[in-house]
Amino acid sequence: MAEVEEQLPLSPHDGGRGECGEELPDGGAAVGVAEPAPPSAGSPVTEEPAEDTKKKIDVLLKAVGDTPIMKTKKWTVERTRTIQGLVDFIKKFLKLLASEQLFIYVNQSFAPSPDQEVGTLYEVTLVLTVVLS
Amino acid sequence: MSLNLDTEDDFYLEENRFKQCCAEFIKHSQQIGDGWEWKSIKDFPDGYMSKTHFQMKNGNTPSIFKDSTKESDEQTLTHVEEALDDSQVAGICATSEVIRYEYHVLYSSSYEVPVLYFRACFLDGRPLTLDEIWEGVHECYQARLLEGPWDTITQQEHPLLGQPFFVLHPCRTNEFMAPVLANSQRENRNINYITSWLSIVGPVVGLNLPLSYAKLVSEQNTKMD
Repeated sequence: MAEVEEQLPLSPHDGGRGECGEELPDGGAAVGVAEPAPPSAGSPVTEEPAEDTKKKIDVLLKAVGDTPIMKTKKWTVERTRTIQGLVDFIKKFLKLLASEQLFIYVNQSFAPSPDQEVGTLYEVTLVLTVVLS
Repeated sequence: MSLNLDTEDDFYLEENRFKQCCAEFIKHSQQIGDGWEWKSIKDFPDGYMSKTHFQMKNGNTPSIFKDSTKESDEQTLTHVEEALDDSQVAGICATSEVIRYEYHVLYSSSYEVPVLYFRACFLDGRPLTLDEIWEGVHECYQARLLEGPWDTITQQEHPLLGQPFFVLHPCRTNEFMAPVLANSQRENRNINYITSWLSIVGPVVGLNLPLSYAKLVSEQNTKMD
């Protein structure tokens, strides 16, 4: 399982697609959507050298519902990053309270196990759900 | 099979739909050899979904069982375990380290949601205590379990078998299922309630669903489009 490094484990990069279904329903639950894009998508990876792109996948985060809007929507994530690592990072990034839950879903419906590496979720949609308890 | 969600905020699971979702889930389980099966109780209309698996205390699969990937082998394994006496089992592997987990998915009419019952014992028959089970809970879920939208694990009598099982209390299930269901409704996607629910609660008690179940949902949606 990948360790959380001291520096930011996720690298932002510019040029997000900007597709956000920003509905704000009533109630305490929120859903965000993250879509991994294939490395050949054509968007430049601004900070990493070219040979690293095969080791990373692009993740697009969509803010839906009550999920706090992330200014940086497109991220580059190492393939070996685990779901748990991603959850920890986003919780810190969104400054969630300890009592707030963050769930990540694949295909908007299936929660992968925490040890699952993000690289294996390449072809599916990640959904971030922030459940405010 | 489509979900027919009657009211916007009512995402409770009706019993027939529970059975349908379980049937779809089990069908996929059979395809990938994940070992789930439906159990009925004689003279009762109720039934439940069940899976048994073996795990070393440190989380690895015991080598004797490692090669098996088919459901029929899973049943054979259970059979083998029952046929051997204690001394024979002790000779095969370090019995104090191999744990037999049993998971049951039942329907709760009072909460109108599925409920996860589980128990674990060593091969010599000694049941695990709650503390010992707790040790098997993934680190990130230990913190979550203490604060999460579900109560802690409690021990209750299995409604159909009458034996003591540990239970993840269902009173807040709707709370964490609602966003998933609301989103699927918004996006006009079919989801299998049981698959989603079990993928969320399962890891909390050491049960991980293979990623293949997520692809099942995706295939269904592709057919719908």
